[in-house]
Amino acid sequence: MINPVLLIAIPLLLAFVSILYKGYRNNLLVFGALVNAGLVLTLGKGEYLIGGFKPPFGINLVLDDYAFLGLLVINGLFLLITLMSLDKIGENATVLLVALAGLNGLLLTGDLFNLFVFLEITAITAYILSASSRQYQHSFNYLVLGTLGSGLYLFGLILLYAVFGSLNMADLSLKMATADTSQLVIPSLLIFIGLGVEVKILPFNGWVRGVYGNSDSLVGPLFSAVYAGAMLLVFGRIFAQVIPLGAYLKTLLLLLGALTLIAGELAALSKTRIREILLYSSIGQSGLIVTLFLSGLVFPAVMQLFNNILSKAVLFTVAGQMADTTGTDDAEALQGAFARHKLAGVAFTIAGLSLIGMPLFYGFVSKINLLFGVFSLDNYWLPGVILLGTVIEGTYLIRLLVKLWMPGEEGLVSHESHATKAPLEIQRARVMGIVVLSAVLLVGGLMPGMIQNNLSESGRLLDETTPVYLFDLKGGQ
Amino acid sequence: MKKALAMLLLVLVGTLLFMGIYAMEGFRPYGEVDLAQRVSQAYIDKDVTGENPEVVYGISKDLETGSANLVTSIIVNYRSFDTLGEVTVLFLSALGVSILFGSFKGRLRSRYQPNFILRTGSKVVFPLILIMGVYIFIHGHLSPGGGFPGGSMIASAILLMYLADEAFRIRIEGFKMTEGIAGSLYVLLGLVGLTLAGYFLSNFLNTGTVGALFSAGIIPVVYVLVGLKVGSELTGIITDFLKGEVE
Amino acid sequence: MIQYAGILLILIGIYGLLTETNLIKIIVSLNVFELGLNVFIISVGFVREGVAPILTSVNNHSGLVFVDPLPQALVLTAIVIGLGTTALGLAFARRIYMKHGTLNIEEIGGGIND
Repeated sequence: MINPVLLIAIPLLLAFVSILYKGYRNNLLVFGALVNAGLVLTLGKGEYLIGGFKPPFGINLVLDDYAFLGLLVINGLFLLITLMSLDKIGENATVLLVALAGLNGLLLTGDLFNLFVFLEITAITAYILSASSRQYQHSFNYLVLGTLGSGLYLFGLILLYAVFGSLNMADLSLKMATADTSQLVIPSLLIFIGLGVEVKILPFNGWVRGVYGNSDSLVGPLFSAVYAGAMLLVFGRIFAQVIPLGAYLKTLLLLLGALTLIAGELAALSKTRIREILLYSSIGQSGLIVTLFLSGLVFPAVMQLFNNILSKAVLFTVAGQMADTTGTDDAEALQGAFARHKLAGVAFTIAGLSLIGMPLFYGFVSKINLLFGVFSLDNYWLPGVILLGTVIEGTYLIRLLVKLWMPGEEGLVSHESHATKAPLEIQRARVMGIVVLSAVLLVGGLMPGMIQNNLSESGRLLDETTPVYLFDLKGGQ
Repeated sequence: MKKALAMLLLVLVGTLLFMGIYAMEGFRPYGEVDLAQRVSQAYIDKDVTGENPEVVYGISKDLETGSANLVTSIIVNYRSFDTLGEVTVLFLSALGVSILFGSFKGRLRSRYQPNFILRTGSKVVFPLILIMGVYIFIHGHLSPGGGFPGGSMIASAILLMYLADEAFRIRIEGFKMTEGIAGSLYVLLGLVGLTLAGYFLSNFLNTGTVGALFSAGIIPVVYVLVGLKVGSELTGIITDFLKGEVE
Repeated sequence: MIQYAGILLILIGIYGLLTETNLIKIIVSLNVFELGLNVFIISVGFVREGVAPILTSVNNHSGLVFVDPLPQALVLTAIVIGLGTTALGLAFARRIYMKHGTLNIEEIGGGIND
């Protein structure tokens, strides 16, 4: 049985080695990403101790279905994005290796303080990567907000330690389940704000615009897919599985999530730059997924999360590429850009339609799933909010797609303002990457049974009726 | 206006926090904590299985961790994984700083010239600080301190040399080498533990007698690595910050 | 009472973050915030009459009353992480100063492409 700690140790080791052999940095990165993606497939479920001390005294790694699904998608996407944008990496190969270790740590760890450490590692790699756009004030902004957020998270977890005397998630969740929920209000609020910065919940997401809005075809998909995915999965781990929320607090946080959803989608509707549209859509989707996690709909949330990050990886790659080669990502200036790049255009379209939840695509399956889940809840306003969000999202994404396929009213594809002013180039590696990703979305939509069965096989455990299933590993091999 | 609003917000948040924490009945008043309610008692007894007799300084042998400094035993044994992450954070920020200033040449000019006392005194103090730093991280399992304070002391000695001598430049490559090798060895040590004992970062060496210099298994080894690594990383950060503005 | 002093420091730090416009002062505020947090964490582990958690030839057996060693270990990690982010933040600040010639965040502007 392969110990999942290797998923963290190997990239870390390669990162330390890579500063000794600078010339081979990129090779080491690709090697690390390949090894990790391969190792994920051989993992065995269970609980793994670090240092041999039994929890709650030592740190443990928990590899259940939830973590396994996350690892599979995150490592796969990481590999694909690195291969796709190798030319963009530059000096950041070592940073990316550490980021891979940090992301895997986030998904695996079963200890709240260890999670804080990995949160910081991942966040610092994100600060450094965001600086590759040379817009340092946005990185600074991100750093300040991120540090404040993780500080508040630490504050919350120390309060939990002071009351319950433990840092282990499983141990804490058992102790908290029987505790009076009024004891948990302040710690859970602090932890919510702390994670809220990273998962882009409304009052705490001031950094997103500057960082995502300047991303290139490496950083864009990495942030919007890999980082966002891992952070949301951590959010789900903590709030759907470890910390029980009282009724009032839950309503408050649900409102924040729903507000994020609507505000994000509305902001996207009013923008014309492609990356700005996509980043507000990311914020909206985060709001949606957070709402689902908070309502206890873990399985639909995870499915929607995968739909979101797979689509966003494609969309941000193309958008970053557009900004890179044409100097602009304004949808007006890029009218008809896909007429000359049909393959990339098709991939972009599939991703966009899947994000909305059109039939034929994976997004449809996940959307149906989450709507069934939401309607089964005893909540009268949430379904309406989610449907409204979907409608707005559909409006601006389809408008964007039409614009990118159709040349302007008076202009044709050959119109000089499009042919010369915005000469879009897309590297072959990137086209291949996004085609692979959109094929996944298509297969997921055409054969929902296949993915559904595989997922719900593990989804059997992801059921809100068994709150502490996470650490009940009987379902493991 | 902005300040008044911020003040108002903070008063609100502050009241909420104070009242909220005050209302948490499990939150004990200052100093009235029962360690038996927490995981910490096991760290003091050096036994997570809960059947160990009393630990006595200089007599007890072959416990699960042999460090006389209980904080060190947590940092390097029970929660060693955090420490690996912590070292990684420092590694990352040194890396980030060197990426940001990597293309700079030369050294930043200071407005003040170092005076005679600083120039002469630093030569006397420099080796003493270095020895103190090394002492601190070698004795991390016995006395207060450890790899992080020791490493910072080493870096502070280098900083002193920078202050005392306008022309002083270190060869950063050597420090980068130390950093990479020490980091790799830390991870490899963990992997050796995984192969020998089945657990990543497990204490696979003999833990010896509590209080002896050669005791506590892998703790001194890890702390020497951490000390070297932290020292070279902080030195790297200082060097990068002092680089001039010519690209 | 020291616990509440820690929280007060945290609040002062957040106040600084909300009102300061100078990049260096923002980082200082962040450090005040982290300092308050560290004071709070340490205070959570204090036990009245407890001795420092180090076995020596004087405090030589585990039956004594020690203060909680775990928060001290956590604080070490938090301090080092704070140091790392501070260094990176200062590096960003220097880069911003080189590009814009000012440390005032209002003069730099918050637009996407400024």
